[in-house]
Amino acid sequence: ENISDFSVNITDCTQVVVPEEVFFTVAAAGILENLLILIAVVRNKNLHLPMYFFICSLAISDMLGSLYKTLENIFIILCKMGYLTRHGDFEKKLDDAMDSMFILSLLGSIFSLLAIAADRYITIFYALRYHNIMTLRRALVILAIIWAFCAGSSIAIALFSYEAATVIPFTVLFPLMMFFILCLYVHMFLLARSHAKKIASLPSSTAHHRTNMKGAITLTIFLGVFLCCWAPFVLHILLARFCPHNPYCACYMSIFHVNGTLIMCNAIINPMIFAFRSPELRSTFKKMFYCSR
Amino acid sequence: MSALRLISNRTSQSNSDYTWDYEYYEYGPVSFEGLKAHKYSIVIGFWVGLAVFVIFMFFVLTLLTKTGAPHQDNAELSEKRFRMNSFVADFGRPLESDRVFSHQMAEESQSLFHFCINEVDHMNKEKQSQKGPSLESNTHFQEVPKSSGMLEEDPRCLTKFNIPNFVNTEQNSSLGEDDLLISEPPIILENKLVMQSSHRILD
Repeated sequence: ENISDFSVNITDCTQVVVPEEVFFTVAAAGILENLLILIAVVRNKNLHLPMYFFICSLAISDMLGSLYKTLENIFIILCKMGYLTRHGDFEKKLDDAMDSMFILSLLGSIFSLLAIAADRYITIFYALRYHNIMTLRRALVILAIIWAFCAGSSIAIALFSYEAATVIPFTVLFPLMMFFILCLYVHMFLLARSHAKKIASLPSSTAHHRTNMKGAITLTIFLGVFLCCWAPFVLHILLARFCPHNPYCACYMSIFHVNGTLIMCNAIINPMIFAFRSPELRSTFKKMFYCSR
Repeated sequence: MSALRLISNRTSQSNSDYTWDYEYYEYGPVSFEGLKAHKYSIVIGFWVGLAVFVIFMFFVLTLLTKTGAPHQDNAELSEKRFRMNSFVADFGRPLESDRVFSHQMAEESQSLFHFCINEVDHMNKEKQSQKGPSLESNTHFQEVPKSSGMLEEDPRCLTKFNIPNFVNTEQNSSLGEDDLLISEPPIILENKLVMQSSHRILD
């Protein structure tokens, strides 16, 4: 328990501390933004479509992630100030609950992104049958199954986090899902590009390359943002499990708070690249803000 | 997770004698002597690797835009192109007001739509005995460009669904891959069809 001993060595890696103001600002911005999206989708009947429900699911999981970080910080501050006991049973249970909330958020994000990609895939490749395949009821059932699975897995992982058997599937799931989502989007992208080529086979098409570039940039942003925000944390979990005594691993783990802040930044960026791209949602926001004035 | 608890409580170590019970495992003191590489090498290596991967992915995607997808058959491509044409043609910005308006009439439009499809199905069953009884509406749509002669024969609904006329070969259409990736659902297509049919039926 004498962790303070290891901070005596001058060559070690001290914890990189993120100022609390930055932390709370980023978390609050993430929670507010995603809450706005939920309110907008609930209020506007035009947005009661499967696509927007999946975007809402992503917003909920982002909100949970930011909420977790905020609560954890508040918890630590309360402990510092002495309002909460250190060895209490209640605190341990609270900590377990918060950990499972965080894992729920991560799993929810991954599965929501997968659902959004699958929905777009069906829209493009089964365009005419889309309304038969993806009814509102089916979308809600899919979301219920996803969230039930995520909730169960998160509780199981939080309870059994000390076993390697839970850490490994968790860290393997992450790249697998990313790869699958990438394949879906690349297939859609290929079809869209070949279609654009067919249309642009008529003379004088200079806009052709530009629109293709935009597609490549959009796809890269989708996946790059998710990777850059979540992969550092997933690597942290791996290293904490398998090499906690290694100095290199310890140095990586010292930037834990930066990784946490990145996850909250993902909560802020996700609505911009998914929800705010929809003109209908943007006009709902404008109506909400102008009507309230 | 114990790792989270452990790491997150380290920041408060400096001020208080705050200790958690490390019930899962303990971190002993970590020795930082005799390191061969820089101590942040994992951090640097990880971020450099991630950046390289994202840039590589971007270049692969841009290369795909230039070279093409040779594995697709022509038949499959023409069918998908038909779908894409009719789907994408209604993607332009001017249709937004239509979409908002048409979505409000969605329910009665859809019932009309199904009515027309049922009529079409009924006529198909009479005319083409080789088709199975479970004719889906979408297969009918796909047959439309091939059997255009049938369109003129059915006065009630089929002439409204002039799907080949939806092909938009305009250069300056707002076709963009990012629009497609935004993927507004094809309710636009169906509602535009249905609006036209409903107007003609009601007239």
